[in-house]
Amino acid sequence: MNGNLNYIIRRLMYLVPVLLGVCFLVFVLFNITAGDPVLMLLGKHGSPEQAAALREQLGLNKSLFMQYLDVVRSAFTFDFGRSWSTKQEISSMMMQGAIPSLTLSLPAFVLSTFTSIFFAIVVAFYRGKGIDLFIRVACIAMMSISSLVYILVFQYLLAYKWGLFEISGYEMGFPNFLYYVMLPIIIWVILSLGPDIRFYRTLILDEIYQDYVRTAKAKGLSEKVILFKHVLRNAMIPIVTYTVVQLPFLLLGALLLESFFSIPGLGGMTITALNASDFPVLKAITILSAVAYIVFTLIQDIVYTLVDPRVKLQ
Amino acid sequence: MLKAVLSLNLLIVLGLTTSCTKKKNYSEKVLEVVVTAKVKGFDPVVAGDTYSSNEIARVYEGLLEYHYLKRPYELQPNLAEAMPEVSEDGLTYTFKIKKGVLFHDNKCFPQGKGRELKANDFVYAIKRMADLENISEGWWLLDGKLVGLNEWRDKYNGKKANYADEVEGIKALDDYTLQFKLTQKYPQFLYSLAMVYTYAVPKEAVDFYGPEFLNNPVGTGAFMTKTYAQTNIIEYVKNPTYRDVRYPSEGSPGDKEKGLLAKARAKLPLVDKIKVNIITEATTGFLKFKSGELDYSKIPKDDFNQTITPDQGLSDTFKAMGIDLEISPDLDTTFIAFNHEDKLFKDNVKLKQAMSLAYDHQKANELFYNSTGILAQTIIPPGIGGYDKDYVNPYAKHDVEKAKKLLAEAGYPNGKGLPTIKYETTSTTVSRQMAEFFAKNMSDIGIKIEVSTNTWPQLTQKIKKKQAQMYGMAWLGDYPDGENFLQLLYGPNAAPGPNGSNYNNAEFNSAFENAKNMQPGPERAAIYKKLAQKLAEQVPLLVGVHRTSYVLKHSWLKNYKFSSFEHGNAKYYDIDLDVKKQVLESGKLNTAKQKTAAN
Repeated sequence: MNGNLNYIIRRLMYLVPVLLGVCFLVFVLFNITAGDPVLMLLGKHGSPEQAAALREQLGLNKSLFMQYLDVVRSAFTFDFGRSWSTKQEISSMMMQGAIPSLTLSLPAFVLSTFTSIFFAIVVAFYRGKGIDLFIRVACIAMMSISSLVYILVFQYLLAYKWGLFEISGYEMGFPNFLYYVMLPIIIWVILSLGPDIRFYRTLILDEIYQDYVRTAKAKGLSEKVILFKHVLRNAMIPIVTYTVVQLPFLLLGALLLESFFSIPGLGGMTITALNASDFPVLKAITILSAVAYIVFTLIQDIVYTLVDPRVKLQ
Repeated sequence: MLKAVLSLNLLIVLGLTTSCTKKKNYSEKVLEVVVTAKVKGFDPVVAGDTYSSNEIARVYEGLLEYHYLKRPYELQPNLAEAMPEVSEDGLTYTFKIKKGVLFHDNKCFPQGKGRELKANDFVYAIKRMADLENISEGWWLLDGKLVGLNEWRDKYNGKKANYADEVEGIKALDDYTLQFKLTQKYPQFLYSLAMVYTYAVPKEAVDFYGPEFLNNPVGTGAFMTKTYAQTNIIEYVKNPTYRDVRYPSEGSPGDKEKGLLAKARAKLPLVDKIKVNIITEATTGFLKFKSGELDYSKIPKDDFNQTITPDQGLSDTFKAMGIDLEISPDLDTTFIAFNHEDKLFKDNVKLKQAMSLAYDHQKANELFYNSTGILAQTIIPPGIGGYDKDYVNPYAKHDVEKAKKLLAEAGYPNGKGLPTIKYETTSTTVSRQMAEFFAKNMSDIGIKIEVSTNTWPQLTQKIKKKQAQMYGMAWLGDYPDGENFLQLLYGPNAAPGPNGSNYNNAEFNSAFENAKNMQPGPERAAIYKKLAQKLAEQVPLLVGVHRTSYVLKHSWLKNYKFSSFEHGNAKYYDIDLDVKKQVLESGKLNTAKQKTAAN
């Protein structure tokens, strides 16, 4: 236990150099290579005098080192200031955006993961048979269609033509948001099924051909027992790796889905910021994604110890 | 595991078999509109884009506004009691402010009760616009125009401005009298008083909310915000303390026949609520409109041919839905700019003339505007002084042979010796298609064009830094005056100002300076016409089209009239709840849906 705690503390300490590195990259990207955002922000009638004033207000006339320090300060205090384009406080924008994004991405992720694992087990169980072939072909067919097609067709048929779902929009609070996220969730799940089933099937098949499975079969255990008691347990490590690594990105929502369904999440916010040269927002999203990634990989390590007692945190 | 997955999937099936849509409510008149871009908050001095201006004008008001129905656009008093008294020298404008106008009830006021609007609120609002700390996008309107205002601005550059410090050019003579003193004649000044930048703002609200003022609007307008949290929906409710404002009793010819005067003298606003849906995807917005969830909508480019017939009428499917079409010219001009800082274009008029003749304006209109644009002959659009419907620009037509001849005279026979010209555009599909079309046209006379795609910020940066050799752009009028279009080619307005083509012709500059100070009227219009036509022949820009707005509206939306200056117009719109209920419940829209699908 002590070892585990030391490991967690050590991993959290790694956050500092990683964050400094991320800050440096963010600084190089946005403060050096991206050019001068002032001319864009001033609008069509901007004057050189206003450009100078705005540059001063945004801190762009400070030395590069001081600008880097500002990035570092914001990363460690999570105070990212205000958006250049909407003038909103970035922390509240992130809070407001994270909820709609998560109400879409989290249930969609859970649904798609469980459904994919279920189908992967089915095809692994019936490997080489008709159902396996059918699902594999279906997966490839589903993956071959652009996500935009799913969105446009489902929105047109299910929401507009048949009136089963709201066409677009979002309302805060339960159960109001459900009306708006149902259809995007379904599309998300369908989009994920193809690649996920194929991936999980490969993981499970990798295990099925291991020696211990042959031994279990030799001992006379049924296929079902082998699959659920032994194979699935051993396949959990790569499954956990695959799923946990995706979690931080759930915060960022789904760009296309949010855009087409007018869900005010972080995905849409990122694109709006990108189009408006809103660097503080982009910096905040980049830094927070990096932090979330580090934290979730730590959680991943801890989960390993839970699913496989052989794993020790050291 | 199996059970969990089955349950989850059952949820989906349930979702599919039972309708997951919200119930319609017909008890209140709710105006449902769409906005296609993010709104930048509600601070009048910083909102420079049309979308934000429209939202601000639902809540805030200015001294003047455009008459809702009259065309050409005409200014009328809004918070002013009457149009101003103008001194003989044309430099002093004195306004009387309406008495008894109240700001919205808000916690920034004592006991939460909105106080009366005073002349000083305008003095404060205009000083906020001048205050460099606010970096108002509207400053260009008053820059150098009011006595002492620039000095006040400079005095507080880099420090906290003292709003009590008087400015000679803008004074509240008493609670209801406001006086402006101009530095020089500036007839466009009145237009600036109808723009959101100069709308009345209570100091209490700015002080109370600080940086969050932009999320907490407190105006005198017909509506108040119910929810605004940078989400994709903005909801407004009727302002209970709104003064007695009536629907106009006169309009333009034909308005009466269209039923636009049916509510003459009715107390405004006519709807109880406004729900603004921020939808950036055009196809999504259009589906919502066709479902009856939006009251009016523009037509996305890709849906145009299914919606509009070749003779510019509405298709049968939409007629069956009871939808009406309104076609109105927009106050804008599209163009392709030559950068005159580049020595290739600086003095070589014949090269620019050749390029303009090589460009197929008609085909471009057909491809990119579904032939709905009016082919531009000069930079000034129809509907304002300076536009001449009979004028034909000899270079705004497609004549490849003449283009080749002019190119040879310019010193580049068949393009020989001419370096490759870089055309900057954005990376959107339509922009790239436009650029490729331009490049193809130029290749017909031997000119090589390299298309460079940019993000919008990158393109803006290149234009503002005078680094874009050629680029396509559109100018939407800030106010209905030819001056606003001609100034695009006025030398001192070169980049980073609005003259992105950096054209600088001393003769034009001087003539423009004289004309812009003249009072509006036939004499000035004649000068504008002459200037615009002279420019057209010098081809400082390759003019494209004046776009036309095609708006679809449902039968239950009453009093809608298109305006290039839509801000503040929502108070005139009305919803006929009986018609709405009958159409939505009769399945009229659904029947049409089946037809659309069958088509």
